[in-house]
Amino acid sequence: MRLIIRDDPASAASYIAKYIIDRINAFAPTSEHPFVLGLPTGSSPIGIYKILVEKYKAGEISFENVVTFNMDEYIGIPREHPESYHTFMYKHFFSHVNVHPSNINILNGNAPDLEAECVAYERKIKSVGGIDLFLGGIGPDGHIAFNEPGSSLASRTRVKTLAYDTIIANSRFFGNDLDKVPKMALTVGVQTVLEAREVVIIITGAHKALALQRCIEGGVNHMWTLSSLQLHPHPMIVVDEDATLELQVKTVKYFKSIEKVAASQGFEQILPSAARTGPRHSTAHSDAAHMAARTKPQQPSLQTKALSELQTQSSLPEPNSPSILSPKPTTNMLLNAPATEYPVRSHTPELVMDNMSSRIPEFREGDVPFDRLEGRGLAASQVGA
Amino acid sequence: MPSAIPTKRDKITKFTNCRLVKGDELIEQDLWVSSGTGKIVRSQEVFYSEHAVPDATIDLGGRIISPGLIDVQLNGAFGFDFSVIPEDPTTYNKTLKLVNRSLVQTGVTSYLPTLTSQRAEVYHHALPYLGPSGGMRIAEDGAESLGAHCEGPFLSPTKNGIHKVEVLTEATKFSDLEDCYGACNINPTEDALNGAKKRPQIRMITAAPEVAGMCSLIPEITSRDIIFSTGHSEATYEDACAAVKAGGTMITHLFNAMRPLHHRNPGVFGVLGIAESLPRPYFGVIADGIHLHPTTIKIAFNAHPDGFILVTDAMHLVGLSDGTYEWTNGDNIVKSGPRLTLEGSDKIAGSSITLIECVTNFLNWSGATVPQALKAVTATPAAMLGMTGVKGSLEDDADADLVIINERVEADGTKTLVIDEVWKFGSKVFDRLQ
Repeated sequence: MRLIIRDDPASAASYIAKYIIDRINAFAPTSEHPFVLGLPTGSSPIGIYKILVEKYKAGEISFENVVTFNMDEYIGIPREHPESYHTFMYKHFFSHVNVHPSNINILNGNAPDLEAECVAYERKIKSVGGIDLFLGGIGPDGHIAFNEPGSSLASRTRVKTLAYDTIIANSRFFGNDLDKVPKMALTVGVQTVLEAREVVIIITGAHKALALQRCIEGGVNHMWTLSSLQLHPHPMIVVDEDATLELQVKTVKYFKSIEKVAASQGFEQILPSAARTGPRHSTAHSDAAHMAARTKPQQPSLQTKALSELQTQSSLPEPNSPSILSPKPTTNMLLNAPATEYPVRSHTPELVMDNMSSRIPEFREGDVPFDRLEGRGLAASQVGA
Repeated sequence: MPSAIPTKRDKITKFTNCRLVKGDELIEQDLWVSSGTGKIVRSQEVFYSEHAVPDATIDLGGRIISPGLIDVQLNGAFGFDFSVIPEDPTTYNKTLKLVNRSLVQTGVTSYLPTLTSQRAEVYHHALPYLGPSGGMRIAEDGAESLGAHCEGPFLSPTKNGIHKVEVLTEATKFSDLEDCYGACNINPTEDALNGAKKRPQIRMITAAPEVAGMCSLIPEITSRDIIFSTGHSEATYEDACAAVKAGGTMITHLFNAMRPLHHRNPGVFGVLGIAESLPRPYFGVIADGIHLHPTTIKIAFNAHPDGFILVTDAMHLVGLSDGTYEWTNGDNIVKSGPRLTLEGSDKIAGSSITLIECVTNFLNWSGATVPQALKAVTATPAAMLGMTGVKGSLEDDADADLVIINERVEADGTKTLVIDEVWKFGSKVFDRLQ
C-alpha cells in the first residue's frame, strides 16, 4: 500500500494527474498495445480531469491510444441526461481530449438485457488485456464504484441496488426529488477493480476520514469495500490532510516517512517494470489465445516459472462463465489474479513437508532398540485379546 | 464505424476555448456545428452513438460565440431599398440576393426585410421576393429573410414619421389587408410540388390598432402566423391594452412615433407594466443615439428585459457618403453623418447604424452584460417570432448561424464588440481577418 498525503485536494489531484501522465508516457501506448485506464465519476476526480485536460492541451500527454473503462452508470436515465455518467465524462473529460470514442467503454444503463451488458463488459476488459490503472474515488461509507457496504468482495460487474443513503445524497442532483433519483446502477465489482494491475484512489475531505481509517487501519471488511485494496499488490491512495483526521498519528507519520525516504534515495515508490509497461501482446489475439499467453510469461525466470507452476496447481481454472453466475472463492482469486503477469516482490517459498519417518536415522546394531510403533500397537491388541 | 465518416458536405466543426452566449450568461463550453445539416450538433450523442469526432477544431482563444444576429426592422442596405422597385423590375431579386450576401458580413444572419408605407403595387411586386428565403439552407446565400415586415400603410396619419401621409390607409375588414398586400402574400400557400403548407410572405405587420377596425382584425392576422406589432400610433393606454388583448405581441420602435409616456395616460409604453394582467409584449428599440436618449433605453430595458429587442430601422444609406438622396413617394432624405432626416423637416428618417453597433451602444449605456445585450438581437427576437430553439440559439439542433465576437475593452472602460467571423448553416461565410 502506498499512501500519499498532500496538503490540500488540489495538490492531491495534481499528484495523481501527474502520476497517470507519467505512467501513460512510460507505457508508450500504441494502437496494438493501448494503455487501459479505468475511470471514476464524482466530485473528487473532477480536479484530476481538469489537470489531465490542461496537460493534454499543453501537449504533454496524448490519449490517442488509451482505452477507457468507466466504473458505473445509472440504470434507467437517458444517456444524455445531465446527471448521467456519460454526460459527466463527456463534460469533464472526453470532449476536451483526444480519446477516440470507439476506445471509450461505459456501461449502458439502458441496455435491454442488463446482465448480458455486464457480462459483455467484463469480457471487453479481458479482451483488451485487462486494466492497467484503475483510478477511483470512494464514498463516505468507503464504497468503491457502486459497491456499497455489504457488497461481496468477489463481485464482478453487475446490477446493484443503491443504498438509501446514496439515493438521498444523489437527490441533490435531481431537484431534491427522491422519485427522480435512479434506484439502481450498473457497476464494476470489487473483484473487477482488484484485477487491475494498479489501483489509484483519491480521497479528500474530512467527511471521508473515517472511511480512510477503516480501509487502511482496519481489516478487510465488506462493510468498507475499499478495504479490499489491502489484498491488491499495487494499490496507491492519495489523500489530503483533512482525510487523515481519523488516522493514527503513527500511521500518518509512517507513510509520510516512507515517501520522504524514498524520495531522498532518488526513487519514487514505483512499480516493477513489467507492471509499468504492461504485458506486450497483440490485441488481435482471441480471448483464449490471449489468456494462454498471459499465464505463461514470455521470458520466465526460474522463480516465476516455479511460481506459475505452483499457481497452476493451486488456482481454479479461469471461468468462462461470468462470476455473477458462478462465483469463485475470494481470497484465492484475490491473491493470485494479477500475480501471473510479473514476479511479486517478496516471495516466501512454499513449505514442502518431508516425511517424518525420513528423519529417523537408520537403526544400527548396539543402539538402544526402539520398537516400531506398529509393533506396540500389535502388542496392545494382543493384550486386549 | 462507416456512419462516422462524414460526406464531403457534412463537415463537423468544433469550436473550443470559447464562451457561448446562453441565456443571460457566457458559458465556457465547446460547440459543434455541422455544415451538412446546418445545425448545432448534439455533440455528446453523436460522440457516443456514432463515434463521431470533429473534422476541424477551431481554438477561439476565449472569444465569444453568439447566435447570428436577427434584425426585425431593416429597410434596406448597401444602397438597396426594399421599398423601391427599380426601373427594370427584374433586377429587384438579383440585387436583393447581393444585399443578403453583403448583409451577412455585418453579423446579421437573418432578418425581416421591412417595407415602409407604400402603394399596393409596390407590395404586390416586392413581397413575393421578400418571403422566407432559408428553405434551401444554403450558406452562400448569406443573410436569410424570415419573412417580410410591413410597417404600414395602416398607420395613424398623425404619427406617420417620415411615411408619406398620402399613402396611409385604413382597414375595416381583412380583405382590405389582402387588397393592399396581395392575398397570396398574406395567406399561407401550398407548395406547388408537394402540397406542403408554406407560411405567408409576410411575417410581421406594424399598424396603428386604433385606426378604423384594425384592432378587431388582429386575431385574423395572428391566425395566419403573422405577428401584429403596434406602432406609428396615437393609441392610448386603453387602445394599446386592447391590441395586446387581441393578440398583438410586439411594439415597433418603442417611444418613437407614438404618444409619449404620460403619468396620467402611459400610452403604449403602459402595457409593459403587466397592464390589466395581460402578458407583456416584445418591443423594438433603436439604440443609435439619435432616436432615443440612452436613459430612455435603460428604462425600457429594465421595465421588461425579456421583451427587449434591439433593431436598426436602418435605411439603404448605410455606408454611403453624406448628401441628399432620393427616396420613395417623391421624398428626399438628407444624410449627415449617421443622422438621416427627411428633406425640408427635422424628422428622423430611420437610422444608418449596424446592429452590432446598436449592441455596443446599449452595452455601454446600460451596464447590461455582454450576453444580456446580445440576447436582445438573438434569443429575444427569435422568441418574438416563435422561433425559439431554431434561430437565436446555441442549443442542440438550432440552426448553426453564428457570429464570433471579439470583445475589446478601451482604457476608459467602454467596450466594443467586433465581429471577427460569421457562420451560416454551419459554414464560414465571413472572416474579418481574411
